[in-house]
Amino acid sequence: MNDVTDFVLFLGRFHPLLVHFPIGFLFFALILELGSKWKKNKNLSAVIPLALFCGAISAFLASVLGYMLSQSGDYQEEMLNTHLWLGIATTCVSFICWAIRTEKLKVAQSTSAKSNTTILILVVLLVSITGHYGGNLTHGSNYLTKYAPFFKEKKVALSPIEKLEDAVVFDYLVQPILHNKCVSCHNSSKKKGNLSLEDSVAIKKGGENGKIIEAGKALTSELIHRTTLAPNHEDFMPPEGKTPLTEEEKQIITYWIDSLNADFTIKINPSKSPKNVLASMASMLHFEGFEKEGETKLPKVEKIDEAILSNLTTKGFKIRELIFESHLYEIVLPDNTITENNQGQLPTMLNELVKIKENILWLSLNNNRVTDENLTPIAQFQNLQKLVLNNNPITDNGISQITNLNSLSSISLHHTSISKSSFDSFEKLKKLKKIYAWNTLVTAEDLKNLKPGLQIILGSPSIVSKTK
Amino acid sequence: MCTNHSKLSSDNTDLQEVERQWDRREFFKKTSLGLGAMALGSLLNTTNAQGNRKSTPEELLTAFNTNKLGLPHHLPKAKRIVYLFQSGGPSQLDLFDYKPKLVDMYGQDLPDSVRAGQRLTGMSAGQTAFPIAASTLNFKQYGESRAWVSEAMPYLSEIVDDLCFVKSMHTDAINHDPAITFFQTGSQLPGRPSIGSWLSYGLGSDNENLPTFITLVSKNGSGQPLYSRLWGNGFLPTEHQGVQFRAGKDPVLYLSDPENYDGNDRRNMLNYLGKLNDVAYDTYGDPEINARMTQYEMAFRMQTSVPEVTDTSNEPDAIFEMYGEDSRNPGTYAANCLMARKLLEKDVKFVQLFHQGWDQHGNCPGGIKHQSKNTDQATAALIKDLKQRGMLEDTLVVWGGEFGRTVYSQGQLTATNYGRDHHPKAFTMFMAGAGIKPGFTYGETDDFSYNITKDPVHTHDFQATLLHLFGIDHERLVFKHQGRRFRLTDVHGHAVKDILS
Repeated sequence: MNDVTDFVLFLGRFHPLLVHFPIGFLFFALILELGSKWKKNKNLSAVIPLALFCGAISAFLASVLGYMLSQSGDYQEEMLNTHLWLGIATTCVSFICWAIRTEKLKVAQSTSAKSNTTILILVVLLVSITGHYGGNLTHGSNYLTKYAPFFKEKKVALSPIEKLEDAVVFDYLVQPILHNKCVSCHNSSKKKGNLSLEDSVAIKKGGENGKIIEAGKALTSELIHRTTLAPNHEDFMPPEGKTPLTEEEKQIITYWIDSLNADFTIKINPSKSPKNVLASMASMLHFEGFEKEGETKLPKVEKIDEAILSNLTTKGFKIRELIFESHLYEIVLPDNTITENNQGQLPTMLNELVKIKENILWLSLNNNRVTDENLTPIAQFQNLQKLVLNNNPITDNGISQITNLNSLSSISLHHTSISKSSFDSFEKLKKLKKIYAWNTLVTAEDLKNLKPGLQIILGSPSIVSKTK
Repeated sequence: MCTNHSKLSSDNTDLQEVERQWDRREFFKKTSLGLGAMALGSLLNTTNAQGNRKSTPEELLTAFNTNKLGLPHHLPKAKRIVYLFQSGGPSQLDLFDYKPKLVDMYGQDLPDSVRAGQRLTGMSAGQTAFPIAASTLNFKQYGESRAWVSEAMPYLSEIVDDLCFVKSMHTDAINHDPAITFFQTGSQLPGRPSIGSWLSYGLGSDNENLPTFITLVSKNGSGQPLYSRLWGNGFLPTEHQGVQFRAGKDPVLYLSDPENYDGNDRRNMLNYLGKLNDVAYDTYGDPEINARMTQYEMAFRMQTSVPEVTDTSNEPDAIFEMYGEDSRNPGTYAANCLMARKLLEKDVKFVQLFHQGWDQHGNCPGGIKHQSKNTDQATAALIKDLKQRGMLEDTLVVWGGEFGRTVYSQGQLTATNYGRDHHPKAFTMFMAGAGIKPGFTYGETDDFSYNITKDPVHTHDFQATLLHLFGIDHERLVFKHQGRRFRLTDVHGHAVKDILS
């Protein structure tokens, strides 16, 4: 390959452009022929020799450029030869056809009309077949039929799996990714860089630069390394214009090479896989219930009637949908909505919230005279993740009522009257991580008794806010 | 103008003229199209079946606040953000990016292999030598995260375990204004909307009595000028522009009524003005008229809300001590930090502080110390204060400038003094709070803090990450303007997932 000059390859790359000319010209010649026969129009047939001549010349040029392109060595020998000889045949036959038409080549008068049409049909057939083989070389042999309604390629279907543990990592994850993103250029018929990723045998064999997988070393393995380069890097794969691998896909292949030593037969081991990788693998295989690190699974909830929401808004709540059309809400009762004068309304207002209890993810009731009794309805908010209750007369009794909030991850209670007696309640809250307890009865001393995993933020002890 | 007779029929002859402007053809066009629009409106949106005109300020506000863009795309981590913009380009080499090997290379010429032919600014391009200037400031490691911080930032060094340093920031621009504009808007050329405006446009307001996007410029920093277009709305509707709060008697210019002017008169005036504008909107359909009306109403509400929020007299002494003595002096960086906390408490979505003077072309060690003295304590206090109030949970704090500074000395290098030129290829920023990994350092630079060796983060990546924390996919928050769909990150950027908790 190295003895071919770049200039030859440069010219060769015009082959895909030029091949369309003979196709067009020769088909057009046939159309003219049929048209003149049908309409008995002499004018039409007068143009046929010109169309044939252009077709033949461009077929010749396309063949020469095609030969130059084939010198790159990127194509499978066998199919390439077929395409090459068919191309040469097309060129020759179209010249002959032109010669007969212009009577430079004499055939018996009586048969001339017939032979003219026959040879023209032959030319068109030849150019079609040549074109088809050319297309197969570039796009892969299943390109044409991949989405055909009939003639579906009979793939060896992977047997459906019941459990994640049954899935062979290579067969169920790695190979499908490669098939989606790489195999159109790296297959047994079109081996770019002399590399095929069609099956495990070919992958083990590697490409023109040797092995592409180094077990245990994903980043130096060419298979992954190429996908992690900057997208404008010359060696980046998949090349410009093709869909790149997603982060999850790279993560799975990296994990397979790094941790599973690129074993082609190993199955998923959920207990040994890192959480993030497991989540990616599970989502690719459509298994539910695997969370990424730091990611909380969101509950699926029913839509809430507009009337209920607007009623809550008129009561003074602020409602914000946290994800578009998820029907999950953040509810805020603005500071001082509840004052001395309307204190009696708070219980009814909070009971209104119970109507949408499943849908509340974050709730904030800062500075609104919320008492221990008021917290009872909140205990029903099973999907609540964040609860903000600062500047309210709440004590340990109140906290003990909401210990069954199983989704709660943070609770903010500064300027309340909770003490270390609430620690038991905090420990019952399964997902709780952070408690904000500045300016409460909790002291730095108390934190020693806290279960590890819980974090209480106390803030600067000396500061006593005047607004309290 | 028969449709508006109920609302407005004036004694003024000029206005009557306007009212009679409709001829038969106009009348039919108007009514038939109007009916069509009403029918379509009721098909598309059942809550607003009465037609396409939004008349009352309440309705305008609801429309402004209502989510029409399909946002957020995913669960947000951040509800608000305070962006402490250190304008001028703070020297990463003298603050956070510790490079001990430079001491041995003191005074040596910067190897060509490091600079690799990079184009320099006109200020140092003519230098015959590029002598390496190691920082004269002492560095130590702090916290459980063992983060390196120089002696210039004693207060921040106490809270490194809450911070996430990104040491591998890089940007495209090498001069101040294009670089700040690039950070603020995603483009070096003025005219695009700033980050705060994008967030306001995308997510709306959480407090209708205050602007969604407020900027504060310190009075105790000076240097390259800042322009109000840096917090401008670009081509987004005008109500999304940043509003600058100032120190002194009028925090917001032209907001207070003239002396002896009764607030009720203002309300009446606005009611009539609203009707007039409504007529104008009906006639011309220019959305800017709606924006103007929204702004007038916002300004009216701000006449009450701004004095309330800018009043710090209720803050206890201990808070002022925490933010530093400057915090009692309105308009300083420290006072602005305290103000920022108060605004964030009121659920203002985007508060941006600008502090100028980080442009140490000469006297770098002294300049850095001076700048740090004015900002370090208050920055740390703001983060601590947000944390104790439980607000760091959903408030994002960002600290950073528009670029970094060079390892080589600009001008004369002496044993105690050196200057540093602009350097866009590597610099440090830090973030804290909502959804950011605390006590974490991301990215690495070479021994010269000149080139990035690991995990580069481009300005567009930073912007994408910021939007990501607010639940926005930066590729899907777009605005069509003059035939093109625009994004904050243009056609670049990816959210840096590795720094998210």
